[in-house]
Amino acid sequence: MTEAAVHTEPQTLEVALKVWRYDSRTGERELVRYEVEAPDWVTLLDVLDIIKDRVDGTLAYRKSCRMMICGSCGMRMDGAAVLACRTRMKEIVEAGHVPVISAMGNLPIVKDLVVDMEPFWSKVRAMKPWLQSGYEEPPEHEWRASQEQMNVIHKEALCIMCGCCVSECNSMESDPEFLGPAALAKGMRFVGDPRERNQVERLNAYNEEHGIWDCTRCYFCNERCPKGVDPRDAIAKLGAESIKHGIDHDMGAKHAKWFVTSAKTTGWLRETELVPKTQGVVSAIKQTKFAMGLLRHGKVPLPFPPHVAEEVDEARALYNVVKQQGRDGALGHVQGERALARIDHPDDAGAHGGQGYRDSPDITPGEPPVQRDIGEDPHGQQTR
Amino acid sequence: MKTVAYYRGCLASLSAKELDTSTRALAPKVGLELVDLETVTCCGAGDIHEAEPDYYLHLNARILAYAEATGSDTLMTVCNVCTLNLRQANFMLSNDDVLRERVNANLESVGAPPYSGGVDVRHLLWLIAEGDGYELLKQAAHKGLKGLRVAPFYGCQILRPSRLLGFEDPDRPWSLEAIIEACGGEPVDYPAKIKCCGFPIIQAREETALGELIQPIEQAIERGADAMVTPCPLCHLSLDAWQSKLEASTGRHFALPILHLSQLIGVAAGIEESELKFKRHVVSVKPVVEKLSV
Ligand code: SF4
Ligand code: SF4
Ligand code: FES
Repeated sequence: MTEAAVHTEPQTLEVALKVWRYDSRTGERELVRYEVEAPDWVTLLDVLDIIKDRVDGTLAYRKSCRMMICGSCGMRMDGAAVLACRTRMKEIVEAGHVPVISAMGNLPIVKDLVVDMEPFWSKVRAMKPWLQSGYEEPPEHEWRASQEQMNVIHKEALCIMCGCCVSECNSMESDPEFLGPAALAKGMRFVGDPRERNQVERLNAYNEEHGIWDCTRCYFCNERCPKGVDPRDAIAKLGAESIKHGIDHDMGAKHAKWFVTSAKTTGWLRETELVPKTQGVVSAIKQTKFAMGLLRHGKVPLPFPPHVAEEVDEARALYNVVKQQGRDGALGHVQGERALARIDHPDDAGAHGGQGYRDSPDITPGEPPVQRDIGEDPHGQQTR
Repeated sequence: MKTVAYYRGCLASLSAKELDTSTRALAPKVGLELVDLETVTCCGAGDIHEAEPDYYLHLNARILAYAEATGSDTLMTVCNVCTLNLRQANFMLSNDDVLRERVNANLESVGAPPYSGGVDVRHLLWLIAEGDGYELLKQAAHKGLKGLRVAPFYGCQILRPSRLLGFEDPDRPWSLEAIIEACGGEPVDYPAKIKCCGFPIIQAREETALGELIQPIEQAIERGADAMVTPCPLCHLSLDAWQSKLEASTGRHFALPILHLSQLIGVAAGIEESELKFKRHVVSVKPVVEKLSV
């Protein structure tokens, strides 16, 4: 790079923001408009820094790394949670838009854009985010986890704990005790770790009242996550692992299993029986008055004759074939992740089966790592 | 006429038959010829995806394969949940040859056709919110909605995750508004139009679900809506059938009529009540019908 190129003045922007200021001691709220001049490469975080530096030193927000690593700078722009350091302003300014910046949702506000993260951390802690290994010490060399084994938790391990997913979780708005997307994704990160030995205990804990079956599948978490963790998909992995381990006492699990039974017996949902199969017969009877109201409007189809798809034996046979191939549990989700990643990265090598690694379908999450002799390793790691 | 394979899904075959009849009556007016899929099953509604993901993939591959066998390049859905489940499986199968080959071998082993990846899954909403469909819609909706104030309710799984749906900005959708306007209605804007109706957990976690359901109902009424329209029969079931439960939990009375997308356009296009089947709704649609007939 030439000297001249280094010193070229960047273009500048006139950036305007409206920020919801808030003081938790007085409860005062105020929408304040700021306008500053800034280089055209600025992020939202840079703009807040300029405001704090030159206009109003009392503005409060969190930051540290400025490079999407630390997870400190989660906040809302026009109601949608973003990392401030990941959000470039140029296009927004050029569109003539003045965004509204506010604190994340589902967490108490301390001041301005700073939220109290304690409810977030306490849910993460409730997941016991450490390995409960219990396997034997390797006799000679180290244990190795294969790439295929790590693929099971590759996405979950990317979480930077920013809280953007939690901010807009629709179930958490309604049930603040819901463990929520970030904590449950962390749970899957340990359930799927090949070194972990307490899968069943963990799954039982995550199946409790405010656990995985609280999720309403609004997909806000996947939409907002800046790191591609896809917490909703992590919850689906936990659901599949729970069913695989026979942990199906929750009404949510029974509901899910009834769809499987319906598909392989009639092909279509056996809607009338869904309530008793989910809630149990006693609760279903308590719902009778409500159900009779629905019946009047044809909202409860009569179970006989059942609605049966033509050629339903195909769907049933398919079930048996699939079950024999053993892609139960989280693995059934993991096998699709490569293909879905190619939506965002279409040039990924191996998009059509050629180059690049493939997920081995034969790894069960939680399967212990193999011990390999270093001498046999083609990459010959010499250090011990 | 555009020929599309028509995937009804469970609800339109069962408790939301009015969605099926109104869709069939509407289709020719907006340039769609529907080819029925008789041999397909449920898409799993997200539940089979969660419980038995490999079976989910196969069931949806089978639906896509039968759609492809009709010769059409489009599988039309009328439900958000079907749309997401089928599109997700379609992406998995189309972007991974090894995975598709295994699934196809399994399909063929039970006598189903294999799937080559040649079908696009599109919701009815997307087919008529722009392009030729929209032009035809404007002509068809000649009876108009006479300024009826309609709250659009999108629901979740037609917007998010946007990388799998991708039709419109999930935070600023416009398609339902465009259709309401084309029918001569007035769209009512409110924040919860992109949020959850609570349906997926309405049986397992009723209280949590009702805490979600109340938001769109309350906000739409506050902003003066005469009715609400949704492209999803599961949202419809929750908004319509469970609305009465909000009264028990809040002590307040709500009576907001909820219309399926094809019913709203159907009213504007002069489709008969025998096809729209408003009597099948729990919350009475009478106030809307009366307002439009004066
Ligand atoms: S899952 Fe994503 S959005 Fe949620 S805390 Fe982790 S990185 Fe942030
Ligand atoms: S999909 Fe589930 S976990 Fe994710 S934001 Fe919605 S309710 Fe919360
Ligand atoms: S400042 Fe660290 S992630 Fe934004």
